[in-house]
Amino acid sequence: MPNENQNGRKVLLDIKGVKQYFPVKKTKFREKQRYVRANDGIDLEIYEGETLGLVGESGCGKSTFGRTILQLYPQTHGDIIYYKDGKPIDLKKQSAEEMRVLRKDLQLIFQDPYSSLNPRMTVGQIIGEGLTSHGIFKKGDPAMKEYIFQIMEECGLATYMFNRYPHQFSGGQRQRIGIARSLALRPKFVVCDEAVSALDVSIQSQILNLLSDLREKAGLTYLFITHDLSVVKYISDRIGVMYLGNMVELAPAEELFANTLHPYTEALLSAIPTTEEDSGRERILLEGDIPSPVNPPSGCKFHTRCRYCQEKCKQEVPEWHDVGGGHYLACHFPLDKKKG
Amino acid sequence: MGKGRYLLKRLLYIIFVFFIISILMFFIYKLMPGDPVEIMLGDSKLNMKPDAYQALYDRTAEMLGVNRSLVEQYFIWIGNMLTGNFGYSTQYKQQVAQVIGTPMRNTVMLNMLAMVVVFVISIPLGIATAVRKNTAFDKTVQVVTIIGYSLPSFIIALLMIFVFAVKIPIFPISGVRSPGFSGTGIEMALDTLWHMALPVIVMSISGIGGITRYVRAAMIDVLRMDYIKTARAKGLREKVVVYVHAFRNALIPVVTIATGWVVGLFGGSIVIESVFLWPGLGKMLIDGLLQRDFAVVLTMQMFYVVLSLAGNVIMDIAYTIVDPRVRLEN
Repeated sequence: MPNENQNGRKVLLDIKGVKQYFPVKKTKFREKQRYVRANDGIDLEIYEGETLGLVGESGCGKSTFGRTILQLYPQTHGDIIYYKDGKPIDLKKQSAEEMRVLRKDLQLIFQDPYSSLNPRMTVGQIIGEGLTSHGIFKKGDPAMKEYIFQIMEECGLATYMFNRYPHQFSGGQRQRIGIARSLALRPKFVVCDEAVSALDVSIQSQILNLLSDLREKAGLTYLFITHDLSVVKYISDRIGVMYLGNMVELAPAEELFANTLHPYTEALLSAIPTTEEDSGRERILLEGDIPSPVNPPSGCKFHTRCRYCQEKCKQEVPEWHDVGGGHYLACHFPLDKKKG
Repeated sequence: MGKGRYLLKRLLYIIFVFFIISILMFFIYKLMPGDPVEIMLGDSKLNMKPDAYQALYDRTAEMLGVNRSLVEQYFIWIGNMLTGNFGYSTQYKQQVAQVIGTPMRNTVMLNMLAMVVVFVISIPLGIATAVRKNTAFDKTVQVVTIIGYSLPSFIIALLMIFVFAVKIPIFPISGVRSPGFSGTGIEMALDTLWHMALPVIVMSISGIGGITRYVRAAMIDVLRMDYIKTARAKGLREKVVVYVHAFRNALIPVVTIATGWVVGLFGGSIVIESVFLWPGLGKMLIDGLLQRDFAVVLTMQMFYVVLSLAGNVIMDIAYTIVDPRVRLEN
């Protein structure tokens, strides 16, 4: 198989050097055009059937990355190869119509269940529209209603909700509608963009369990974007950490927590609240704000806030490399070396 | 509460407002200086004997009912008004109902045509500019529409007359029909349409400017929403995303503006009717005011009142059609 990598895992999406820049509005006529570097060169392989967690603080480009993969933004640079049944497809090179057809496989669950459902459409229309658009069912096919009922039940929605409008539902129910909507197309890959952040904790766990169940049933692959580390630890096979448009560390979930190498990851992990009163853990506070993605710091972008910062960090951009066991890192001075 | 009960409540409210306004209007017009009887008799005072004039004056006053108490006059007036008797025009020496028919038809005809032209052009144009936001096309339309929107209509009117009647004389500048015109019904309609061209162009230019900008702004707001990304992510065709998902949501502000604008059309055409000598309601209102022809002016004012009250109800009903979240309550 062409999409098998050296570790023998089947790759679903191969993302190489993806950059996503947004132009900043010029304030002066002769000013040089500046860009928000939301994604500044990201390399990532997403394996079939895995859940990849993506964490990072607000504004680091996580959501942009998710949407760029799905081509909701035209990417500035880089390649995104999607292996459809083992055949590589370069998403960037697809025409609008070809991409539209591919959207059946590549779906998105939005962060905000309030703004992401069209207020003028009933639940039945919201779920059914994609089905007719991709020719899974013909318009007015009675079998489609049956199918939608089945999907709604799978996602924990009662069928009597079919003819209701989104505003008649609670946040948790609306999120389920969003999930039902994307899963109705039987996608291969789903980007969950903060899919549970807007919900309260009891509903969060319901939705997370629902997502895991559906993954097992339908063989889905998730990219799970969140800023909530306890959620990501619970659901992910591998976890990637982003900082200011770059991936800084990527490792299997257990490995990341047990053998943290990047100082930023260390700081993030130390911020997870625990129930133990005296866990003996040191809380690492990051000083200062996240720097501007328009004018990012030189060298390692994290050097302005890193407590282990050296002269080299200010000059050289650390390389993204494999340190073994599928653990990737971009840091000049990984933590275990300092300890050792 | 059902739709029926809401509408009933709304209707009662409208009737109440109608009477309040009618009382205010009536007394304000009665407060205005000038004796309607004298105006109606005009020059007769100069070439009649005082006795005979006095007798004529008394008879006329009796006929117009001006020597009764104001409250009585009001009830007589409103009673007549509601039964379709709008009073006697001192200016035209005719029943108002007979005088007002032709100008109303002219005005409604002109405004309807202008309205159709405005919506047919401005809605697709607004959508197109919103979709192509910040392109050269959008920026050009933005500049053109703000000019059309901010120029007073009489300036546009003069410009249009200069271009289409003086430089390239293709349209007539005044009236409803060519003088001494005779022909079949269709020819007559075409002739009227030809005369309507300039006033309609002028009215449309200012209307298109405003409505296009409203549609664009509403569409841009909606196109930013997540559910538009959802619609794209579903894999819908871009046309469906723009026209079905986005436009239906942009309709609410458009409905508000459009209804207000349609109601305003009937009163707002005074200037244009004067410029193009279009014998419509606007011109009639101005003439009536200048001649202190109270019956005509009051009738027209009440017409505008009914129109704006009806406009509000229509707007409410339109909301429920375009937005399922709006329910007719309270």
